[in-house]
Amino acid sequence: MTLRLLVVEDDPAIRTMLQSSLAVEGFDVRTAVSISEARALLRHAAPDVVLLDLGLPDGDGSDLVRDARQQHAIPVLVVSARHQEAEKVRLLDAGADDYLTKPFSVGELLARIRVALRHRGTSLPAALTVYESDGLRVDLGARRVEARGHPVHLTPTEYQLLARLVRSAGKVVTHRQLLTEVWGPEFAQHTHYLRLYMAQLRAKIEERPEEPRYLLTETGVGYRLAAA
Amino acid sequence: MSTAARSSGPPDARKVRDGWVGCGLLVAATVLNLLLDRHVSVTSEAMVYVLALVLASYTLGRVASLCCAIGAVTLLNFFFVSPRYSFRVDAQENLFALFALLAVALVISHLGTGLRRETEAARLNERRARQLQEMAVELAVAALPAEVLAIAHRNLNRAFPGPCTVALLDAQGDLHLRAEQAPLRDGLQACIREAATLGPGTGRWPGLQAWYLPLRTESHTGGAACVQNVSASDNGGREHAQAICALAGQALWRIRLAAAMRDAQEQSQWHRAQSTLLAAISHDFRTPLAAIMGAASSLQTQGERLPPLQRQRMLATILGESRHLATLTDNTLQLVRLDHAGEIPMDWESVEEIVGAVLARVRQRDAAHRIQSQVPARLPLIRADPVLLAQLLENLLDNALKYSAGRIDLDVRQRDHRIELAVLDRGDGIPAGEEAAIFEPWHRSDRSGQRGDGLGLAVGRAIARAHHGELSVRRREGGGSAFVLVLPVEAAQPVMEPA
Repeated sequence: MTLRLLVVEDDPAIRTMLQSSLAVEGFDVRTAVSISEARALLRHAAPDVVLLDLGLPDGDGSDLVRDARQQHAIPVLVVSARHQEAEKVRLLDAGADDYLTKPFSVGELLARIRVALRHRGTSLPAALTVYESDGLRVDLGARRVEARGHPVHLTPTEYQLLARLVRSAGKVVTHRQLLTEVWGPEFAQHTHYLRLYMAQLRAKIEERPEEPRYLLTETGVGYRLAAA
Repeated sequence: MSTAARSSGPPDARKVRDGWVGCGLLVAATVLNLLLDRHVSVTSEAMVYVLALVLASYTLGRVASLCCAIGAVTLLNFFFVSPRYSFRVDAQENLFALFALLAVALVISHLGTGLRRETEAARLNERRARQLQEMAVELAVAALPAEVLAIAHRNLNRAFPGPCTVALLDAQGDLHLRAEQAPLRDGLQACIREAATLGPGTGRWPGLQAWYLPLRTESHTGGAACVQNVSASDNGGREHAQAICALAGQALWRIRLAAAMRDAQEQSQWHRAQSTLLAAISHDFRTPLAAIMGAASSLQTQGERLPPLQRQRMLATILGESRHLATLTDNTLQLVRLDHAGEIPMDWESVEEIVGAVLARVRQRDAAHRIQSQVPARLPLIRADPVLLAQLLENLLDNALKYSAGRIDLDVRQRDHRIELAVLDRGDGIPAGEEAAIFEPWHRSDRSGQRGDGLGLAVGRAIARAHHGELSVRRREGGGSAFVLVLPVEAAQPVMEPA
């Protein structure tokens, strides 16, 4: 079955480039130049992935992210020019799955689309309960964590933090998402909790905490557990 | 009305006081003489009056002192010279004594008042000199014309009963006056126009009741002052007012020169920045654009006829040059942004995390695994913008990969209230004497044939400074360079909530 991709981008050159290079990969690509057009296509063309550029002529991308997540459970990838970290974070908080910074290569874009599709439907109840990547095994059902063959003892907060990342393995989870879901909404600004707990978690799980293999930092945005 | 009362008040009061003091002295001398009358001769009684006159002449004004002298002679004649209690004089000797006393009294009065006037003049001059000295000290630290205006106004008010007015000229040559000062405008403008003091005693506009003085130096007039209710004879006062105004004028001139110099420096800096920016844009941006356009247009028009290898090479050129252009654009924008940002938003960040994220990215370009990192555990958190710091670190590591061949060390250390991040390579090193220049935007000392954008280090230093830190370079013993980023650590570290 051909996967349908919706590209929301108002710049004609980039739109054409994305359309042709993604079509070559076998996607059925539809394009929209505005939020309103994208909404219509979301309803009628039923795409499998949305590629959303920031700064559209008729409004804010976050509305579209909400629509795509709530009504259709489609993965959304945000594409942005650099120095819009805050905007990027806002859309990820609103439910976008991942982001790409312009300029980007087609190879990277395809890899991100593959990850997003693999985890399609993660908004449904815990699709992933066992995470296994060479050396690290997290079993959410049995509440068991093993690193390099040895069981790892985690404090409740450390475990919750890791579990949250496991449920979105391979995708970015923003600081705000982690803080509100692990500590509670009133801790949304306490980024230092994350710094300190991530350091502890890395010390227990990673072989070289200063060059982590699993618990990756997305500078200025959040964290990502390496895709299994 | 009120000003007239103010000016005539003190002299009148003084005359009345002089009258009472004079009468008191004469009464006291007469009473004393009446008490001594039985024991002493009329000569001694005359001496008592002389004593009273000496006191009177030193404490009273000229007129009161003269009146006292005449009064003393009259009283001596009436009470003590026979026949007593009449103004007649029977003996020739007594008549002579009275005339002698009158002459002595007049001479004493004259000498005494003269001495007093000189003493007062000396005191006044000393006070004025001290005031000018204090004013000069105050003016030396004044940085704004408004401060000079306030100082001049305060000093004129201290020196003269006034009222006094000071007004400044603006850049357009208009005088700044409040509504109630408007009637003085003509006089103030006239003294500025004539570049001289106008008013009583100056020979110009002598009919006025006020002096109009320009605040000026040889080459510049900064404003004008008006001192009201003055007299033509007060030469010392006028000179003092002129001295105050001259000091204020000099201060205004100094402030104006300083401002002009600052403007000129800023202008020349701006022009220099603009011309380096334009030169850089015209060269650094056009070169990759030319390569991209050349390769792309060649592929478009001759694509069919080119051998596959050459097509691949041209595509690689387009990709490589585009990447270069992207970095160049990012760095240019970053530099402009940091220059105008002021305080950047910062949060608690972990150095270990930032280093880890940067290494993960740079390793992709470090196929030979040349970068060795040393990051101690349990580093304190720092206040930072992580994206900017990561950019800085990535820049340093990329430079090291590009300009050196051997091993590259990334050392992180904590020293007291600082964290030091050092990137050490074994390349050719920075040429001696260029350690400071390489941080200047668009600077090039590169002789390795590698192409840089001349901006990475300038952006790096701007990022370091935005974090209240510093980026510096030194030559390593045995060859190579060490780029060291020093960041401050706040003593008050955030704490974890009890788990």
